[in-house]
Amino acid sequence: MSSRSDFLDFLARSGAVLAKDWRTELRSRYALNSLALFAFSTLVTVSMALGPVGSSPLAQPLLPVILWLILLFAATAGLPRTFVGEEETHTAIALRLAGPPEAVFAGKLGFALSLTFALEILVVPLFLAMTDLSPKDPGLFVATLAACGFGLAAGSTLVAAMVAQARGKGTLFAVLLLPMLVPLLVMAVALTRAAVSGEPPVVEITQVLLYDGMVTIGGFLLFPAVWNP
Amino acid sequence: MLTFSDLARRFGRHVVLTGQSGTVAPGQLLTVLGRNGSGKSTLLRILAGLLVADRGTVEYHEDGRPLSLGERRRAVGYVAPDLSFYEDLSALENLQFFARLRGLPSTAAEEWLARVDLPPERAAGALSSGMRQRLRFAFALMARPRLLLLDEPVQNLDAVGATLVRTLLAEHLSGGGAGSGAGGGLAVVANPEPLDLGRPAESGDHVLTL
Amino acid sequence: MKPTTLLALGAIWLSITLAIFLAFLYAPPAKNFIGESSRILFFHVPMAWVSSLAFILAGVASVRYLRTRDVRFDHQARSAVGLGLIFGVLATVTGSLWARVMWNSYWNWDPRQSSIILALTFYLAYFGFRSAVEEVEARRRLAAAYAALGLIVAPFLFYIAPRIAGFTLHPEPILNANLKVEVESRMRQVLLLSSLGFTAFFVWLHILNCRLLTLLEARDAKSLS
Repeated sequence: MSSRSDFLDFLARSGAVLAKDWRTELRSRYALNSLALFAFSTLVTVSMALGPVGSSPLAQPLLPVILWLILLFAATAGLPRTFVGEEETHTAIALRLAGPPEAVFAGKLGFALSLTFALEILVVPLFLAMTDLSPKDPGLFVATLAACGFGLAAGSTLVAAMVAQARGKGTLFAVLLLPMLVPLLVMAVALTRAAVSGEPPVVEITQVLLYDGMVTIGGFLLFPAVWNP
Repeated sequence: MLTFSDLARRFGRHVVLTGQSGTVAPGQLLTVLGRNGSGKSTLLRILAGLLVADRGTVEYHEDGRPLSLGERRRAVGYVAPDLSFYEDLSALENLQFFARLRGLPSTAAEEWLARVDLPPERAAGALSSGMRQRLRFAFALMARPRLLLLDEPVQNLDAVGATLVRTLLAEHLSGGGAGSGAGGGLAVVANPEPLDLGRPAESGDHVLTL
Repeated sequence: MKPTTLLALGAIWLSITLAIFLAFLYAPPAKNFIGESSRILFFHVPMAWVSSLAFILAGVASVRYLRTRDVRFDHQARSAVGLGLIFGVLATVTGSLWARVMWNSYWNWDPRQSSIILALTFYLAYFGFRSAVEEVEARRRLAAAYAALGLIVAPFLFYIAPRIAGFTLHPEPILNANLKVEVESRMRQVLLLSSLGFTAFFVWLHILNCRLLTLLEARDAKSLS
């Protein structure tokens, strides 16, 4: 067995989990609906509450904060489903018996990533239109959304796997996830602010990538212990 | 060869297992008898690696090689009431997914679905409880396991289904089954009353009463 | 009590008592600090140091628990997180008192204050998480994974987030990146003594706490059989 074919085998198994998650998701639309509805209603509420202030220069420094809070709360509403659903319907047992934990984690991470990026594609253009925000550095703006979205999805996937086996899953998810996501959010806001104003960012995007990398590696190392007795 | 010794488990203040031991060799069947709540399911979940014991050890060898906890979990064929499937997916889609996750060809899914006589297109959520039980057998046997762990295997099954299960189990033990290997497969069956396999009690078959 | 234990306890008592006296009578007030306010540093710095030590210890014990599944490491992690929280609260309170004197407000969301509050929230959630998992084995395993995750996240909490905020009024930490101790020598002596005393005090509490957790568990197991 070469390491290359082992890797392809791993990809095939993770791909099976990802494909299964999207297939069930497209039939039930549970996570998609809650994510989209949550994001959309928050978006409307926020822009209505801001009123004309939203598009005035005064609000400019605050808009990146609002954008990331919307994305964060929409993510906490939808992402835990990936694991909570498996435990609640007891399908987690078959999953444990059939697949190596690393492949399960990779598949779930892929699902959370695609869901997060779908959320960003849905929310960000609407947000920009509603607040008259136009990033002066679109490249940095997109890179920030991608890098910080990745960290959001990776952190959420691991924490979702943890809370799925506990009581009071919804509240617990936010309680465990928010303290660990704060460094990421602070970086996300700083980078978005720089992308909007066109000024050089006070934080390097490589620091976000470092966070993403650490959380992902940590996820792969810790997940087998989280998932299996 | 499956060996477990001195297995104890409690849930909170409730003690379920108090130091059970046993051995199962190829071709042998261990029947675990006991009333509801006596710890049969707990014992099987520990043997499957889905639960760890507070005390005691489980050792499982295939071809003379000891399997780790993770390997054992993926090597056993486990059928129990708590095994569930994705209700939004059809029976076939469910099996195909688990086949891919196990690295098996997807033809294994169709083959086993036909073997347990299930309609492939019906959503798992729309299956009757007897049909779900058949799906559990297809899921467990698809990977051609050497060791079968069956918790109340004939519950909810009609006469035809029960006969099918007896046939599958007898084949598995005799070595004629899909993956039972030389010397026959191993099986642990938990049931409230002895299960009539329609075969004479082999030497080495034994009963553990909880 | 064994004579060595007695001796160790005596040394802890002596070093802390001595540090208290020296902090007020021997060390000079630091330059650029209002009045005598710098004297609280002799307590604030050891508290912050012991708190970080406890959280790192909890992370390491958790990783070892996941590798060995030895219950003693779970007790160690649980004990260290609890003590880390107590020392962390003390560090926050002493820092906040000092901030009242220096910055004229107890709390002004200085990045250092934000990161310690976040760290305390993270480790408070550790106990919330534990109590939310009914099954004992799962509780140990999941809590250990969470505390191990703390090892990954904490560096970002303490080093990256404050840098981004762009400014901090907090003096450069005594244990700074250059590992250069930039304090007057008499202050340094007292700080060292106080840090040693409180670290030893923490170790003693930690040992007692671990023993207590082991005994409590043995009692539970006994009441069942």
